[in-house]
Amino acid sequence: MSTELAAFSSELAAVVEKSAPSVVAVHARPRFPSSGVFWRPGVIVTAEHTIRREDEITVTLPDGSNAPATLAGSDPGTDLAVLKADFPAPLLAPAAAATVPGQIALTIGRSPDSGVNATMGIVSAVSGDWRTWRGGRLDQYIRLDLTLYPGSSGGAVVNIAGEVLGIATSALSRIAGVAIPSATINRVVDQILSRGRVSRGYLGVGLQPVELPDHQKALIVLSLAPEGPAASAGVLMGDILVSLAGSPVADTDDIQTALESHPVGQAVAAGIVRGGVSQTIDITVGERPRRE
Amino acid sequence: MPHFGEIAEQLRRSTVQVTDGRGPGSGSGVVWSASGLILTNAHVARSRSAQVELWDGRRFEARVTARDTRRDLAALRIQAAGLPAATPGDSAAVRPGELVLAVGNPLGFAGAVSTGVVHSIGALPGMSGSQWIRANLRLAPGNSGGPLANAQGRVIGINTAILNGLGVAAPANSAAGFLAQGPRPALGVTLRPLPYGLEILEVDADGPAAAASLRRGDVLLGSYEQLNQALDSGRDVVRLQFLRGANRVRETVVRFPAPQAVAA
Repeated sequence: MSTELAAFSSELAAVVEKSAPSVVAVHARPRFPSSGVFWRPGVIVTAEHTIRREDEITVTLPDGSNAPATLAGSDPGTDLAVLKADFPAPLLAPAAAATVPGQIALTIGRSPDSGVNATMGIVSAVSGDWRTWRGGRLDQYIRLDLTLYPGSSGGAVVNIAGEVLGIATSALSRIAGVAIPSATINRVVDQILSRGRVSRGYLGVGLQPVELPDHQKALIVLSLAPEGPAASAGVLMGDILVSLAGSPVADTDDIQTALESHPVGQAVAAGIVRGGVSQTIDITVGERPRRE
Repeated sequence: MPHFGEIAEQLRRSTVQVTDGRGPGSGSGVVWSASGLILTNAHVARSRSAQVELWDGRRFEARVTARDTRRDLAALRIQAAGLPAATPGDSAAVRPGELVLAVGNPLGFAGAVSTGVVHSIGALPGMSGSQWIRANLRLAPGNSGGPLANAQGRVIGINTAILNGLGVAAPANSAAGFLAQGPRPALGVTLRPLPYGLEILEVDADGPAAAASLRRGDVLLGSYEQLNQALDSGRDVVRLQFLRGANRVRETVVRFPAPQAVAA
């Protein structure tokens, strides 16, 4: 017998078995349920894109029973939703070491008809801060080389020791599954539990990248939300935004990054060129209106 | 102590190509006994005979000795001895996450190996039988009927379908049940679910449904689950209600042949 291969195989199965009591199936969309993970006592995280209704959400618990869950809040930008369900479940241990490309990763999900399920592959790429196409910020970009099936999204991504790296989502990248890292989940869960939502800074401007005569890159104001934070502070159409909070801005991602460190209600200094003259305007950061 | 490559090679020798002459492609099969018993899917061996090609290129005419459409399994018999039979594993002990490998003839590549892990074990909506093994590995149509083996090289399932990208295998214990008790009672029809029942799309000429004068277009009242329950009740006679044309409910009595073990 190939003892090494057999030992590796049972190690993988043991990781799945160990993680299973923390993973639920989430019923919040037609057809395919998704998966979710007990992140804190009574608190489940899942992928926001799998939540299609706000009421009558249920979860299939590790013991196979169904229980109602309430939506505490969600953050489409990071594709995270937070549910509350009263059930005592063990929590997964956080990963002790940094996530690195090449390490083995498993996704652990649950479906109501066949219980816990697993897929295996590797972490194919890791980088720092990553802005999603949905406008949120992940603390790390963790790309997965493994197959995500319908229902895998929201499941736990664990390493070979059964420690959690994050949760899986198929909605943040067209080319690969992505793990929403634990650090991002912790941050979003904190905000949702304390405020019910993740508020994002908002200036109320439409911007377009331009190049100034000295080849410096900047952003020209093409539209202004009426009575929005920028309009109220005196920003005009045609103003050229060159810096925000002291950092130069070359594209709209720079605006998002600058606003991350300026909570709603705080003033941020905007460096502006108007008619060839530099000036600074303090804009009080507003809250981005919620999507209907 | 065999390594991964040796396990795969051993499994390749127990895997055969099956062609039933009905379709353009071929499926796979597993050598279940040294004396010529081959297992494959019922959807691979649709006729009374089939052609089997062994790993070493030898070809045999095979007799299809039993078909179980509900488990999607068929038993074939070839006149040969000393074949490299696969070692069955206990599919009840399979756990999600454990390593699996599959051998088959996907897209005409004979003896291709794919690897992955067990995704889940359980019932599947729309497929009869209570347990199916789903595996996170890449299969193609020609894998049908071929072996799904664990890290020890023991066959834990017969690859049967691909569902949402997942490999679906009939568990080895289900295959053992098929060989020991014979095919599960089946009507011998192709059904399509409707909101109020199951429409008969096709009737096998020599099946129990044909003998009970059920016809194409009749709609059996009830769900798959109810029908499966009735079929598995152990009775050799089952009453079925159905609609034909006008909205009048009719009833028929279906007789099933006594179950017979598949000769090993």
